[in-house]
Amino acid sequence: MAVTRPRVDADALADAIGLGPEELAMRKGFLEFGDDDVHRLHAMYELTHEHVDVVIEAFYEHLMSFPETAAFFRDPRLLEHVKGRQKEYFIRLTQGDYEQEYVTDRLRLGSIHERIGLPVRSFLGMYAFYLRQIASLLLEEHPGEPGRAFEAFHSLTKLLFFDIGLGVDIYIYQRERTIALQQEAIRELSTPVLTLRDRLLVLPIIGILDTSRAQKLTEGLLRSIRESRAKVVILDVTGVPAVDSAVANHLLQTVEASRLMGAQVIVTGLSSSVAQSLVTLGVDLTKLNAVGDLQGGIEVANEIMGYRIVAIDDGTPEVVDARSDPQAG
Amino acid sequence: MPVDDVCVVIRSDADLVAARSMGRSLAERYGFGTTDVTMIATAISELARNILKYAHEGEIVLETVERDSRGGVSVVARDHGPGIADVGLAMQDGFSTADSLGLGLPGTRRLMDEFEIVSSPGSGTVITAIKWLR
Amino acid sequence: MPVPILKQGDCLIASIQSALTDADLLDLRDELAERVGRYRSKGVIIDVTVLDVLDSFASRTLRMMAEMIRLRGAETVIVGIQPEVAFSMVQLGLSLDGVTTVLDLEEGLAHLDRSRRARVAHAGG
Repeated sequence: MAVTRPRVDADALADAIGLGPEELAMRKGFLEFGDDDVHRLHAMYELTHEHVDVVIEAFYEHLMSFPETAAFFRDPRLLEHVKGRQKEYFIRLTQGDYEQEYVTDRLRLGSIHERIGLPVRSFLGMYAFYLRQIASLLLEEHPGEPGRAFEAFHSLTKLLFFDIGLGVDIYIYQRERTIALQQEAIRELSTPVLTLRDRLLVLPIIGILDTSRAQKLTEGLLRSIRESRAKVVILDVTGVPAVDSAVANHLLQTVEASRLMGAQVIVTGLSSSVAQSLVTLGVDLTKLNAVGDLQGGIEVANEIMGYRIVAIDDGTPEVVDARSDPQAG
Repeated sequence: MPVDDVCVVIRSDADLVAARSMGRSLAERYGFGTTDVTMIATAISELARNILKYAHEGEIVLETVERDSRGGVSVVARDHGPGIADVGLAMQDGFSTADSLGLGLPGTRRLMDEFEIVSSPGSGTVITAIKWLR
Repeated sequence: MPVPILKQGDCLIASIQSALTDADLLDLRDELAERVGRYRSKGVIIDVTVLDVLDSFASRTLRMMAEMIRLRGAETVIVGIQPEVAFSMVQLGLSLDGVTTVLDLEEGLAHLDRSRRARVAHAGG
């Protein structure tokens, strides 16, 4: 289901995901990212600054060589924009204090990728590319000192894992927001009251019934009863997965309120597990005229209203008012 | 939308009608839908009725309220009557009917969104009930 | 203000015109009981279309009316409970159990008509 997700600005994102100073400190502790790492990263600043353009261009060339990822960057303005941001990001890997501002910056870039729909595996692939590029640069930078190159690489790896963590957080957070919005949209779906026949209404109930929704449904039904002067209402609950005591009471209240307006309610579609729940909840089932399915419910409605369905000569069934038809048995 | 707050003295059953009518009018002007208006008027009727029955005299104060950018109507039923000995008992059984001869408080509470009772023997009773705009 | 009570054949129709105080409701109860006896009515329709609130007292009194009328040999039908009123009543836990309730005056008359025909059929049978 398509839902529109309002944009959250990057500063608000950090708050929303719970990335405050304590959380950041905990993550760094877990990665054993400390002052030594910061020094080594700062020492790489010259190196990254010198090679940033080449690395980023190579990076996007690599990306664009795969149709799957190229598809996301077809808009040249978007491509230029993200290249610009990646260059800044690349340089910032070796600069700054890796605190709140760094995080906000990372979240901002990650948000763009998430919003355009770039799959997680693609952005992970991007990090793998960075590591390869920088590994070679570091070996060139420290000839004959592979140990030092390795230490520097190790610090960078910690930082990139920190960054990957942030990227994954954004993806999860935004996915959860979408799910929540969809759930809300489903809850808001108002089921219409259908007129099956003169003075016979059907109300299919679908989904989770909370108090507010139950109230709206009942109000709508009662008004429909008045408007169509309904004598019978079939309440179909096939689409209600589970009932708790609140829902059970909403159901009973709907039945009772309909009765006060002179309409009988037939409940259809009660699954055996829901029926069991109702019994367990101590609901007085004698107050509920429950019939297995909609078809059965319509037959009961016909009986109540004094109708019978007979086939006429050409084979088309016709609804007959059993009270007015002299031939009705 | 500025709406006047109202106080209705409850001393006779004509006052019950007045309290219901004022409540209806206030709720309508404040923007409540027809069902909510009826629920508020019905709650007022029950609360005012209890005042008459147990304290013989009291008042119903109707006010508009705002909290966390939500608007609503508050009904305060106040009397200096005998008070409720066991408030917990009076509010028990969420789904008891108001048909029984009793205070019918659980039912009245279901009509409103927030419900609070302050009462003890000899100190009278103050019931505050609020309904928020949906 | 007394509630107008119309006599239509063997039925009485009490048509409530405005908000009623408790005393008015009790007067109506007594008045209906008296007239059912006087006219030997078989059916009583109480039209509450205009009532915007039916609280616990109204509900108890209506049930009492139906019972008193039944003891005098007539059937009671309450007509015209509005959607908002029906909703509020069930929230409050009022059920009007044992009292016949139908949508409107037309339905009320149809109901009493059916009852009359059943009586005649039974008596004629």
